[in-house]
Amino acid sequence: MYTETFLIAAALYAAGFSIPLIWWSRDLRAVRTLSLSCTILASLLLGLVSVAVLVSGNVITFMIYRPLAEISFGFSIDRLSGFFLLVIAAVSAPVALYASEYYEHLEGGSRRNLLAGCTNLFILAMVLVVASADMLGFFFFWELMAAASFLLVMYEYDNPGTRKAGLFYFIMTQLSTMFVLFGIIALSFRAGSFRFSGVAVPADPVVLAAFLSLFLGFSIKAGIIPFHKWLPYAHPASPTPVSALMSGLMLKIAVYGLVRFLLDVFAPDLWWGILILLAGVISAVLGVIYALKEHDIKGMLAYSSIENIGIIFMGIGLFVIFSAESLPLLAGISLLAALFHSLNHALFKSLLFLTAGSVVHATHTRDIEHMGGLACHMPVTSALFFTGSVAIAALPPLNGFASELLLFIAIFTSITVVDPLLKVLFLVCLALFALTSALAAACFVKAFGSVFLALPRSPESAGAKEVPRMMLAGPVLLALACIVLGLGAYQLFVLAGISVPLPDMMLVGLLLAVMAALTWTALYFTASRAERISETWGCGVHLQEPSAEYTGHGFSEPLDIIFSSIYRTRIRNERVFFDQKNSIFREGTAEIRLMKVFEEYLYLPAARFSLASATRIARFQNGCLDTYLLYVFITVIAVMVFLGWS
Amino acid sequence: MAPDFVLYIIFNTLFVLAAAPLWISVIKKVKAWTQGRQGPSVFQTYYMVAKLLRKEVVYSSTSSRITRFTPLVTMAAILTAALFVPLIFVPEPAGGIGNIILFLYLLALARFFMALAGLDAGSTFGGMGSSREMSISAIIEPTTIIVFAALAFVFRTTNIFDMFARSAATGTITTPILILIGISLFIILIVETSRIPVDNPETHLELTMIHEGMILEQSGRNLALMELAAAVKLTVLMALLINLIVPFGLATTLTATGLLIAAVLFVVKGTILAGIIGLFESSMAKMRFFQLPSLFAMAFFFSALIIIIEVFA
Repeated sequence: MYTETFLIAAALYAAGFSIPLIWWSRDLRAVRTLSLSCTILASLLLGLVSVAVLVSGNVITFMIYRPLAEISFGFSIDRLSGFFLLVIAAVSAPVALYASEYYEHLEGGSRRNLLAGCTNLFILAMVLVVASADMLGFFFFWELMAAASFLLVMYEYDNPGTRKAGLFYFIMTQLSTMFVLFGIIALSFRAGSFRFSGVAVPADPVVLAAFLSLFLGFSIKAGIIPFHKWLPYAHPASPTPVSALMSGLMLKIAVYGLVRFLLDVFAPDLWWGILILLAGVISAVLGVIYALKEHDIKGMLAYSSIENIGIIFMGIGLFVIFSAESLPLLAGISLLAALFHSLNHALFKSLLFLTAGSVVHATHTRDIEHMGGLACHMPVTSALFFTGSVAIAALPPLNGFASELLLFIAIFTSITVVDPLLKVLFLVCLALFALTSALAAACFVKAFGSVFLALPRSPESAGAKEVPRMMLAGPVLLALACIVLGLGAYQLFVLAGISVPLPDMMLVGLLLAVMAALTWTALYFTASRAERISETWGCGVHLQEPSAEYTGHGFSEPLDIIFSSIYRTRIRNERVFFDQKNSIFREGTAEIRLMKVFEEYLYLPAARFSLASATRIARFQNGCLDTYLLYVFITVIAVMVFLGWS
Repeated sequence: MAPDFVLYIIFNTLFVLAAAPLWISVIKKVKAWTQGRQGPSVFQTYYMVAKLLRKEVVYSSTSSRITRFTPLVTMAAILTAALFVPLIFVPEPAGGIGNIILFLYLLALARFFMALAGLDAGSTFGGMGSSREMSISAIIEPTTIIVFAALAFVFRTTNIFDMFARSAATGTITTPILILIGISLFIILIVETSRIPVDNPETHLELTMIHEGMILEQSGRNLALMELAAAVKLTVLMALLINLIVPFGLATTLTATGLLIAAVLFVVKGTILAGIIGLFESSMAKMRFFQLPSLFAMAFFFSALIIIIEVFA
């Protein structure tokens, strides 16, 4: 029954992919609408299946194709897969709803058909990665996901910025695929099959290499610092629904991969957990610090995704550490926190990306310094973005807080850990985690304030109009999900049969509402009701100008200065003087530039190195037939010698 | 929910609202005395709130719904946070009320709205205030969480109610380590309530404006709510310090005499603490904004050291 539903859902995604390809040259809205309706329908069916699996705990397994005993393509949906399928379903339906309108406003004629089709392919690939029963299928669909997302990123390929972003993304995602492939091959050597089954002790160097390689592959895909650079390039360059899908879902697929391998394949060591925890903490703190500095709204959201993935990795790291210390209760809470935060981040980040896309659509700029005052022109969008901001800033009673609270509780109760050194490590992580969530609040005050409040800072912003209804409907669903998951977190866990030490957020929400109502009533009966609209006080100057407002740059300036050692601003100051003693100034140049630390110290040297070695290897390629014959001859001799030897 | 708890909600909220404005005036009075002035009456804050309630509200023409909602949300969030810190009577915790992290984030919720309202009118004062408030709150956050973690380590619970119940049971300070935690809590109190040397609550001039700059555009009943919310926040943080360090008299059962004694004792202890805050403020000069991180780093290392001692001891 559920098997059929799942297959129908997959077939619907496939139909959504092929329908626009059949009529690919016809620039018809109907084709795209049909394709995206398939997405919505398929997501609903998928949601049903995943909820059924989550509630019942049954595992759905079926084989598709089995050419050899060890090699097979099949699907298996257990609770973990079911959970991630639910995440995919919950995000892709609202995104498709939004895209059905958004794609119509893009340029590109019938190319938009391909965009709608590839969106379906992308979602289908993610669904199949999560549902795959063995590593071979996992890898195959992982690569399909990478290819589909690359096509989506390159939609506006005539824009040089997009081409650069696409290239960057392509290289990083292929690196990730390479590491995942290497890990899987290494594992299959040890296990003898491609099944997700446990392998021997972690001390085995091959298993260790497999873990490190897989961890690297998943980290690149998830955007863990220092492998994060593709995110702030690829997200702003892609169409908004694609950014939402990539940030909300694709990063979570990497999280799924890591959790799946840690749970089913490896028997992790303590230091693996410490490695994951540290990677998570560094990503979380640096991610939000870079987000504060970013003034491209989608770039800012991309950096904030890095931060949230860091938080998720922290949960996974803690899970591994607590498991290794045989503290199953705390390990359970940590894993639950990581998974719950994955769901929450998927919801509020896609909400933020979609509403940010609406803002960009209305103002034709991505620079938050050219926005402002949109709260009056786009009231619904501003309310939706606000909901997302409160959720991502981890403020009660919304869902971002619920999952971060779980992580806080896990660390706070880690008193039971025996090793004092581990406790000190947790202490440092705790402090940095608190810093992260406080900086995230500052970051989103800045984002919401600069985009929606005060006076418009550009004519486009002043003339912005609210977006069409369909582009509101998708985000409205996501915002409702954020509120429900926040308020009902405790009740949902009780329903799922998991006992968590979470406060009853419904009660907190109720108390907040009661307090607000009482305050309002008290004011209604005691206070004066007189109101007046006047201009903002400007020290007696009767002219309020947008240029006099606090800008986004200004807002983050104090934090810029406090964290200046992290931002690494390079100040260049060259002066030429008339005289020997350097006192009479002739001319000079000065420049303050934000260094791209990782790009300048890690990526570019790596790129230069691979280019140099490629040039060296290219010398063998002289295009002369004799030389190639010589190579073949040498190779044949070498193979014969090698075979004869062993 | 137990009837005890409902009664607790009513008592605690009424008591905190009634008592909160007192400490603000006491601090002002002490500061005036140290400067050789008479100072305002200790009931001055009550008069001011009453006066503000009668005044009309002036909204900026550029402001949005954020400005309209902020005073209400701030007050609601601070009052809900006040429920997490029992002032005079500690009931059995229910539904996770009293969770120390939730308490911290309810204060953050109020701050989030206040900072947005500061930006809303498009005034430079408000923007500067919001920016500084968010920066300061972000860099004090590691210290706060470490201090709270220290409390959780010492009391083996994350619930403030349980902590208070334990300290009330002994009546005196539970462990000497609490004195050290108390010092850190005092620094957090100074920072969170925007007092010297971090901010100057008396003025909104450009050198000092953080909190006052942020609420500069508020007026009438909205300003009254903001002032009252700030006073309640001060009281709640003071109560956290008082009921952990000098808990004697804190009621754990619901009796009229017990409540009365606890209330009187709390007012006395609070007045003394307010006096200490006033003296502390008078003995200090406002620090330069960019020197604050070093102060916070000091507080951070101090509290981290406490935990490390606690962990290894």
